[in-house]
Amino acid sequence: MSGVKLTWKDDLIAALLAGVVMALLVATVGDLGYARDEGFYFHAADSYRRWFELLFANPRAAFEPKAIDNAWRVNSEHPGLIKSLFALSNLFLQKKLHLFAMEGTSYRFPGIFLAGAGVGLVYRWGAEARGRIAGLFAAIALFCMPRFFYNAHLACFDVPVVTMFLLATYCFWKAMREGGSRWPIAAGLAFGLALDTKHNAWFLPILAVTFVALCLVRDRLTGGDMKQTARRALAALGAMAVLGPLVMYALWPWIWRDTFARLGAYASFHLNHEYYNMEFLGRTYWTPPMPRLYAPVMTAATVPAVTLALSALGLCVRARARIQALLRARAGKVARREGGETDLLWLMAIGISYGAWVLPKTPIFGGTKHWMQAYPFLALFAGAGVSWLVSVLRVELRRLKATNLRRFARGPAAAMGLFAVLLAAPIAETAASHPWGLSNYTPLVGGAKGAATLGLNRTFWGYTTGAVVEYLNHEVPKGGTVYVHDTAWPSWEMLQKDGRLRKDIRGVGAVHEADFALYHHEPHMLGQEYQAWVAYGTVQPAHVAGLHGTPVIWIYRRKGR
Amino acid sequence: MGLRVASGALRPKPLLGAFVALGIAELAGFFVSSRRGPDFADWAALVGPMAEERKQGELVVVAPSWAEPLARQALGDEVFPLRDVARPDVSRYRAALEISALGESAPELLGFRETGRREVGPFVIRRLENPSPAEVVFDFVDALGPTQADVRVTSPEAACMWNPNARVLAGGLGGHPTFPAARFECPGGTFFSIGPTVIADQDFRPRRCLFSHPPARGEVVTRFSGVPLGTVIRGHGGMYWIIERERKGAPVALAVRVDGEEIGRWEHRDGEGWAAFEMPLGAHAGKKSATVEFFVSSKNHAHRHFCFEADTR
Repeated sequence: MSGVKLTWKDDLIAALLAGVVMALLVATVGDLGYARDEGFYFHAADSYRRWFELLFANPRAAFEPKAIDNAWRVNSEHPGLIKSLFALSNLFLQKKLHLFAMEGTSYRFPGIFLAGAGVGLVYRWGAEARGRIAGLFAAIALFCMPRFFYNAHLACFDVPVVTMFLLATYCFWKAMREGGSRWPIAAGLAFGLALDTKHNAWFLPILAVTFVALCLVRDRLTGGDMKQTARRALAALGAMAVLGPLVMYALWPWIWRDTFARLGAYASFHLNHEYYNMEFLGRTYWTPPMPRLYAPVMTAATVPAVTLALSALGLCVRARARIQALLRARAGKVARREGGETDLLWLMAIGISYGAWVLPKTPIFGGTKHWMQAYPFLALFAGAGVSWLVSVLRVELRRLKATNLRRFARGPAAAMGLFAVLLAAPIAETAASHPWGLSNYTPLVGGAKGAATLGLNRTFWGYTTGAVVEYLNHEVPKGGTVYVHDTAWPSWEMLQKDGRLRKDIRGVGAVHEADFALYHHEPHMLGQEYQAWVAYGTVQPAHVAGLHGTPVIWIYRRKGR
Repeated sequence: MGLRVASGALRPKPLLGAFVALGIAELAGFFVSSRRGPDFADWAALVGPMAEERKQGELVVVAPSWAEPLARQALGDEVFPLRDVARPDVSRYRAALEISALGESAPELLGFRETGRREVGPFVIRRLENPSPAEVVFDFVDALGPTQADVRVTSPEAACMWNPNARVLAGGLGGHPTFPAARFECPGGTFFSIGPTVIADQDFRPRRCLFSHPPARGEVVTRFSGVPLGTVIRGHGGMYWIIERERKGAPVALAVRVDGEEIGRWEHRDGEGWAAFEMPLGAHAGKKSATVEFFVSSKNHAHRHFCFEADTR
């Protein structure tokens, strides 16, 4: 189960995977309403876009402190890189090239692009470390995680930071493995991009330093080349320490002035983040202590079980190989070193991604997206597991007496057959989850209905407004009003800019001002539904929509309207 | 990649079989879990059978409770009147019809006896009888209105005027419950009006009650005249849970007087949620006509979105 030296064919496969992912995401993006946070980022991106327009027209004016601060103050609690990409995509791909059918897709495209890049990178890393079968399976398995698929559509930072985290880790791995100067510089640049994407990147230095320390311990135990490890580590960590902050600084104009104060405010926002409500096993958590089982249970409930089991298998297979190698080394035999670092790095990347979410003070309101940067590494281990299973299958096929079956031991047939069996459920679950990504749960908990009965969060972010636009377009009278509930205003407006929602329908902020009232279900939001009951004098929803017979969003209609 | 497979502690062939089985099982599990009834369209099939089964005044409960919006959509307000959907509890109902899906049953009807059942597609309609229903003589929430009730504040003394066409006001995202069109309006603004609304309790369940925000000083008094009495006045009080979960607000006091005599005083503290009170009527029990007054006050009235319901039984 060793890796391969990558060739142009692997680059082609990675590019094809990325292209297919992007095509599928663009093809399905029109069904998906806009999440609350997307609305805030549209607003920020528009502010940044205006600054870029000024920059191209009058650079001198754009670099005036006042111009920078006015534009970049918006949403300065998050770094600027991804929102800059949203802005530039909207400016060039939409306003100049009119590339997309809907305005909103232009904001979402950078995230979609990075999702494709992430899947392609998973293939490359998997193939390089564990062989092409592992890489291919890992890439598909990542894309076929329903929550990853949902988030991959969005103009948010969660999938972008998955890719940036993966990229930085990959470059660091290459730097440690190959030395030289190219990969340390790449690691530094990638770390900077990750820093300017989302604060999840803060975990990267912890990951890298701990990894180096463990490699040095390993070298000491096995008689490895500690000097070489230390030299490579110094180059990689040094580049990350120097280039990372420089890249972040260069790409985030907000911190060009009052740098430390503004960075301090940014850090403080996330270190002291307020707590929002989140339902878990029938209880709404809104203040610490948060449930320590939240992350593992939600992972098991939302990632296909077969993928998780394959990850566990891959981990076991690799652990056994490493233990055997270590024992050989301790016995004075020459140990095959390759692989140990990779397994350790992947495992640590998973651990550090989940680490914060087993602490009782870490807010859980964002659901599974918080630890999503672990998912490529889970997928990579799953790829390793599948690669081993394909080897087993080939051995078993060779043992068969029937010669017509034995020939399947050679060539791609065995792998393809196993892929079909092991990916059928993840593909089916992912396809069926759209456009209800956050309502989707795996068969392990009984699907959407089982999760509703267990009291697992059914939706948040108000994005399912996109799933009821057809009803609104058909039923709301001309110039009629709709209470938008959890839909962010820019998200509502984007549905109208897209042409998905009639422009004459007016969104309002209170039930009593509206003819129709949306209700996105979360237990702590139920008071909104009761407001509609009293205001409209009815408890009968006019329209209910959701996933697999489970209500997620419903609409009340004022009597006589 | 060579074909030699190191086994070690792993058993390759059984593992291969197990993973193939897991892949197939998860796929089968997906189809079963995503297609098991009822689907949205199935709920319409309940209209006829429920019309046949339900007797006037019978409570209808849906299990699992998350499916209730679908039943309400299909069956409407006649089967699900607001006063039943946002009930204080089930103690007053003689019988209930439970619409059960997915084999679930309603926990609040556990003490009821099953007296009949009928299967309708993926549903089971169960008739359940309450072994000891309470005989409600008078419901104060139902009776709020100018015919039998009046409202005043005490400091300074002022009457609250009945307005049958007041502006309906809902708090919006995270805001106050809806102030209904028909309500008593007290001095101090819209928060100081007495009218029936629905709040979300600590489990976010709907509770129909009289919104009764205490005034800055003194008390708000809701008086009912000509009230036939049972042996107790029983009720519940609470606030929209998001208001009281911080546990930072002052307690709210509710005192009840019958024909001028205080029969009980109850205090609601933040965190108690939708809490019950019961006050024996003593010598007043069984009166054909009495005056009952509810006094609501708080030492600090900030964010005291107090709401109560009561009956005599």
